[in-house]
Amino acid sequence: MNEIAPPPVDVAKALRGFIGDIGPNIALSLESCVHCGQCAEACQFYVQTGDPRYTPIHKVELFKQSYNRELGPFAFAYKFLGLTPALTAETLTNWQDLVYDSCNMCGRCSLICPMGIDIADLVEQTRHGMYEAGLAPADFLGAIAQKEHATGSPFGLTSDTFRGLLHDIGVKYNVVMHVDEARADIVPTVSSIDVKTYPGAMAAIAKILNHLGQSWSFRTDGFDADNVSLTAGDRPGQDAITQGIIAAAISCGAQILVMPECGHSFTEMRWEAANAYGKDLPFRVLQITELVAENIQSGKLRVNKVVQTATYHDACQLSRRGGATAAPRVIFEALGVDLHELEDAGDANWCCGGGGGVALIKRAQPLRDAAFAIKQKQIEASGAPIVYTSCSGCRQTLEHGGKAAGWSTNVGSLLELVADNLAQ
Amino acid sequence: MNLLEFARGPAMQAATLVLVVGMFWRVTGIVLLRRRVAHAAARNPFAMRLLGGAVTVFTRTIPRRTFWPRVGTGVALSYVFHVGLFIVLFGGAPHILVIHEIFGVSWADLPKGVVVLASGLTLAALLALLVRRLTQPVLRLLSTPDDYISWLVIFLPLASGILLSGETVASYGTLLAVHLFSVELLMIWLPFGKLMHVALVFAGRGVLGYNFSRKGAVT
Amino acid sequence: MSAADATLGEMLGKSGFSRRGLLKFSIAMTASLALPPGVASAMAANLAQARRQSVIWLSFQECTGCLETLLRTSSPTIAALIFDYISLDYQEALMSAAGSAAELTLRQAVAANRGKYLLAIDGSVPVADGGVYSLTGGQANVSMLQQFAPDAAAILAIGTCAAYGGIPKAYPNPTGAVGVEDVITNKPIVNIPGCPPVPEVLSGVLVYFVSFGRLPDLDDRKRPLAYFGTTIHDQCYRRPFYDQGKFAKSFDDEGARQGWCLFELGCKGPTTHNACASLKWNDNTSFPIESGHGCLGCSEPDFWDQEGGFYTSLAGGKGPGWEDTGIAAAGGIAVGAAAAFAARHKTAKPPQGPQK
Repeated sequence: MNEIAPPPVDVAKALRGFIGDIGPNIALSLESCVHCGQCAEACQFYVQTGDPRYTPIHKVELFKQSYNRELGPFAFAYKFLGLTPALTAETLTNWQDLVYDSCNMCGRCSLICPMGIDIADLVEQTRHGMYEAGLAPADFLGAIAQKEHATGSPFGLTSDTFRGLLHDIGVKYNVVMHVDEARADIVPTVSSIDVKTYPGAMAAIAKILNHLGQSWSFRTDGFDADNVSLTAGDRPGQDAITQGIIAAAISCGAQILVMPECGHSFTEMRWEAANAYGKDLPFRVLQITELVAENIQSGKLRVNKVVQTATYHDACQLSRRGGATAAPRVIFEALGVDLHELEDAGDANWCCGGGGGVALIKRAQPLRDAAFAIKQKQIEASGAPIVYTSCSGCRQTLEHGGKAAGWSTNVGSLLELVADNLAQ
Repeated sequence: MNLLEFARGPAMQAATLVLVVGMFWRVTGIVLLRRRVAHAAARNPFAMRLLGGAVTVFTRTIPRRTFWPRVGTGVALSYVFHVGLFIVLFGGAPHILVIHEIFGVSWADLPKGVVVLASGLTLAALLALLVRRLTQPVLRLLSTPDDYISWLVIFLPLASGILLSGETVASYGTLLAVHLFSVELLMIWLPFGKLMHVALVFAGRGVLGYNFSRKGAVT
Repeated sequence: MSAADATLGEMLGKSGFSRRGLLKFSIAMTASLALPPGVASAMAANLAQARRQSVIWLSFQECTGCLETLLRTSSPTIAALIFDYISLDYQEALMSAAGSAAELTLRQAVAANRGKYLLAIDGSVPVADGGVYSLTGGQANVSMLQQFAPDAAAILAIGTCAAYGGIPKAYPNPTGAVGVEDVITNKPIVNIPGCPPVPEVLSGVLVYFVSFGRLPDLDDRKRPLAYFGTTIHDQCYRRPFYDQGKFAKSFDDEGARQGWCLFELGCKGPTTHNACASLKWNDNTSFPIESGHGCLGCSEPDFWDQEGGFYTSLAGGKGPGWEDTGIAAAGGIAVGAAAAFAARHKTAKPPQGPQK
């Protein structure tokens, strides 16, 4: 299946990667599981396949075992009485698809757990050790993460290339682009999926920011917020991207850092970046829907009414994991869209199946399709001809899934809908 | 000293000390790990976050409605067990007596027939939960010796307590000694296995509630 | 008192008691011994023919309460006559002889009844320091027991002290008090525990022995099954309240006044074997529970040292106490902290970002 022989699994590095960052919060989670099995019932991969291996807490079993053997209160007993096995290359390899292919880190499991374990977060932590061991899925995901580490962009885009791209977009969409300004109140970032597939999204951001009237600028020294390194488990890479964006925003004195239509980039910059920075960030972090909603509510941004029936797919990282569930609804109301909410819309929504880097793993296609089937049913049941979303990853997954399903339902970007309907 | 006196005296003392040492050891071992301060700007002030944590301790007792079709049966069964056990432990006269002797507080006991009924339902639920654990694929995959040992150290006090309250099968003194020994076994095991959830459940829900309130996200 | 030749039947006849009266007594005794009813006439016939049984009573480390209870046996004239017929050949409190005359009496009684006398013991046997803590005429009780046991037909250990060591055996047991069965192991022993025992229990054992020439059936603690085969709890008139969960919570509260179960006030009835609840005391007048106080468990070994004392219920016991618990908590924290700091050492990498 793999053309390249995979490198040998580094068990020692896996162990160090697992235990290196564990503090009381993670430890409490690892100590708390009572094996009730409820998390499985919340996970799209278990629900759709019936395979118990996809039970969320089971995905982090090696992470838990390493904690018990090395850091737990009874570590000496675990180790010397052999209560739990030591890591081996074989078990680590067996766990690869559990930690990567079958987890979107969507957090439904964290929502159901009666013991209050944030399982999605544990998976993210587990990926650190897997990555260190060389076990991030080599095809696509690992390569992307390494490219990102080298150049700041998963596709190896350099600053120059990006600058040229932005210029071209400005010309094509007839929108003023500000790039690498020395001073800017607002610094927007982009998702690599937008760069590759939805350049209109970058034009849309520019359009809205122009409309707001404050000084703004893209920064080519910190533009790609996608942070595939995060989903790969590449901790240094994740940090490097984040620090780059922070530095870029600070260097032009930004008041607001705007995150694009993307899930994990938002949770990373909004909730983790300050910790990497080591202190409070000197600017606010808002996802684009939050920025728009805020300005709609203050009256600074006005939109035309749109006569349309639509439904909306919440990106897990924005709603359940990020706390930005309300913003899209504010926007829809201002737009006057006839919004048919999906079943379980908002905080309890089902993941599209592509999140957390899963969309980038070729061999995970069947699993993604299985997860998408849930969304498909829900969207069809809503009776809406179009489903909007505010995450390019979801957008792409919905489009691909819809195409495979022979949909007539359209998929749209909420950002672009706003940009197309700004009141003059 | 006969067996009953041993169970009421030295064995009770030893088991209590093991329970106390074990619980404090485990909690301290968790709490004192290296921690980092969260720097990201919170969406809610500290008081709201604390409240969020406290409220989550209660709200997580019932799964969200959207999950009911898939987890309803198991959760209901588990609650029959837990509530039944609660009724027996805190409504049964001899247990209230023990609590009074240790802590000096007491309250009215429930009628014996109610406690008997509750104990029967608790036992039935406990047996059903074991069958579930042995047959349901997810639970089979997840289960370790800890799960089965924990089940056993709950089953033994429950069963021996039922026999004791009925005063059948053996003399009162023997039944009481067996019941006390089974409770002491439970006490010794509790800090080291999943039964520690009696304490951890509050901490886990509270911390998650606090952290998610910080993000303004659903708890 | 010397052995007479008259049979009991003759003696009773002289005192105006008919055979019918003796039969009635036998029926009562048969019932109290839980023997089949048909035995009553055999017992009456045997009693009529019985010669006076020699009983030698040695008092060791005792309070004399067991003797006093015996004297209170109020099955009136018949019981008293039976004891007249039993030849109580030696008993230091009741006999008129004293000093060397008493010692002579003892030696004569033993010699005259060698192999046939019942040796009744009350009081515990102190064995520490050569038994110096209880001497009779300069001789240690333990030595006396070893001297006179071999020639006895059987030994009656009367009262909890003689049976199991009783109150003198309570912690710290400075005199090394033990029960008779811990000193003599090669002679039939009947334990008749109680502090004091129920008088009719003693007379029942004697009547049985006099009637049938052997000891009644005993349980694994050498107690007569007829009287010690059930617990106070089994026979207690307040049992319905126990079953209904109606308990007195404190002395003289409403429940106590209603006569509710005394379990919560420390009653040891469920684990105490004796006949108090059925035979009662003072000719079936009352017993501790009926008077409003829980059973102390006085017929069981080590009742004085029981965990938690008399007023701690059987549901409770003796836990470690708050001080020791506090020390245990501190110990747990210390070990947990040590584990955590050993773990911190492993997570001492330079900060790579957020840590939770």
